[in-house]
Amino acid sequence: MQETKQAVVKRLEGEARRIRRNVWRALRAGGGGHAGGSLSAADILAALYFHRMRVRSSEPEWPDRDRFVLSKGHANAALGAVLAQAGFVDDALLDRFYGMESPFGMHPDIKLPGVEMCTGALGHGLAVATGMALGARIGKQTFHTFVMLGDGELHEGSNWEAAMAAAHYRLSTLTAIVDHNKISQSGRVADIIGVDPLADKWRAFGWEVRQIDGHKMDQVVDALDALPFSSSRPSALIAHTVKGKGVSFAEDTYLWHSNNVNDEVLARALAELGAP
Amino acid sequence: MSTVAVAPADWRSRSAKQTRLAYGQALLELGAKEPRTVVVSADTQDLLGIRGYIERYPDRFVEVGIAEQNAIGVASGLATTGLRPYVCAYAPFITARSMEQVRNDVAYANQRVVIGAAASGISLGVAGGTHHALEDLALMRSLPNMTVIVPADVDEAYKAALATLDIDGPVYLRLGGRTEEPPVTDPDAPFRLGRAVQVRPGKDVCVIACGALVEMAVRASDTLKQEGIGVRVLNMHTIKPFDREAVLTAAAETRGIVTAEEHHLAGGLGGTVAELLAVERPTRMRMVGMPDAFAMVGPTVPLRAKYGMSAEAIAQQCRALLG
Repeated sequence: MQETKQAVVKRLEGEARRIRRNVWRALRAGGGGHAGGSLSAADILAALYFHRMRVRSSEPEWPDRDRFVLSKGHANAALGAVLAQAGFVDDALLDRFYGMESPFGMHPDIKLPGVEMCTGALGHGLAVATGMALGARIGKQTFHTFVMLGDGELHEGSNWEAAMAAAHYRLSTLTAIVDHNKISQSGRVADIIGVDPLADKWRAFGWEVRQIDGHKMDQVVDALDALPFSSSRPSALIAHTVKGKGVSFAEDTYLWHSNNVNDEVLARALAELGAP
Repeated sequence: MSTVAVAPADWRSRSAKQTRLAYGQALLELGAKEPRTVVVSADTQDLLGIRGYIERYPDRFVEVGIAEQNAIGVASGLATTGLRPYVCAYAPFITARSMEQVRNDVAYANQRVVIGAAASGISLGVAGGTHHALEDLALMRSLPNMTVIVPADVDEAYKAALATLDIDGPVYLRLGGRTEEPPVTDPDAPFRLGRAVQVRPGKDVCVIACGALVEMAVRASDTLKQEGIGVRVLNMHTIKPFDREAVLTAAAETRGIVTAEEHHLAGGLGGTVAELLAVERPTRMRMVGMPDAFAMVGPTVPLRAKYGMSAEAIAQQCRALLG
């Protein structure tokens, strides 16, 4: 029986809540880390891995799998969480965040099953994802390539080299998701170096743009279901999000871009998030 | 893949003695031998002589324009899908400008990306310091997983390019500019990665050279032979993985080592030899290469000589070492 949209949304909201709980758990294991950008991305990651993407956790290297590149790699706690929940990696890995010789560190490592590229140095993922999408075309494969970018990350000029190339090659199988949480390491992105008008920038570079509330799961699902937004242009999904979403003390502040997490912080965060 | 119009293949009529063009010719053969070959150009279609490849394999060609960072990132992404990307670029830009992409997307992620880097050293002498690449070997050889090859002439460049088929990891292939490099390697000898080639025998001193300096070292050896000095010449075409045995053997069998390269004295071939010998077998050494300065503008061959990269300078260093 077809799952109703209401049921899909409810299921994904549950996965997103579990991602957020697992992010805090991993951060506690590591003593701290990038809470803000991991939590703003949680709903989109849940919808990608548990609704939209064709992937096989039992066969991470399945050639026809959809690709996901976490260009804003400092949100690796969230990626590790979703990969654990989806069965790519063992759940116990989440307790080895930052651990000695752990494959689960601050930034994604291609050696971990389900991770497509070593990212986190910002401004790399869109170029790599463009190469993946071109590779699909050349290799006559049908997979879709997703890449998640931070808004502060868009300061890096290399993004715009890739944006130009992806539009030039009309890569409709490429989707860039901007986790637009409006805050970077030092403060509000608008005060550091403004990126507005963001949608106009992507359109001017030849992309088909949609904007959503990145925490309203029905909007996230609708947008991902609507991909590709164009048959002749790459898709840009600008998701308006809240840094640190889900836990009051971490929301909308650069102080939780990265911060320490002790037992007390973990307990408060999990209490606010509610039961898994 | 590309919508670029195919121009007349006039590159074929140009000098065949430029290693950058030998790479372009080798890509034609690679395209036929390996159907996963894909060429990535950073607006360098004539620089690397790839118009013939583009004409033959238009669906396995990606032009990214004047965007070296993107060229490397895209190549890495292509490689993850099982393709074998061959990047065509200017050495100064694809290394210094794209260093982080090369380090992270290619070397750290250990992707099978081959970087064909033309206009290395001061091979585009008249272009000036902005277009010289005198630090590229230091940068590339410092990267784990990276293979670094410096062909001495067109035959070696062609064979080295083909040899990349069997290298399971990233490769930096250092190519020249518009200067013709005299043939110095045996065209019938196979290219053996990581194995130095003895070009001249000798027991007094050993010159370990790479690239254009190999031919100069041979001339120096022939000159010194007239003076009764036996100069062994090793063509160290692979900087990484490094042929330690050839160097240690030369250090044991001769009275000293002279290194010769078109690269800053810091961090290149001379540095590689010195690092090895300092630990394993302290040996008298002299180093020929670019001093700690940006080169002036000038035609490549006299410019090389100005900075001590000539057969005469190599011979002089050999005499000094023995004296």
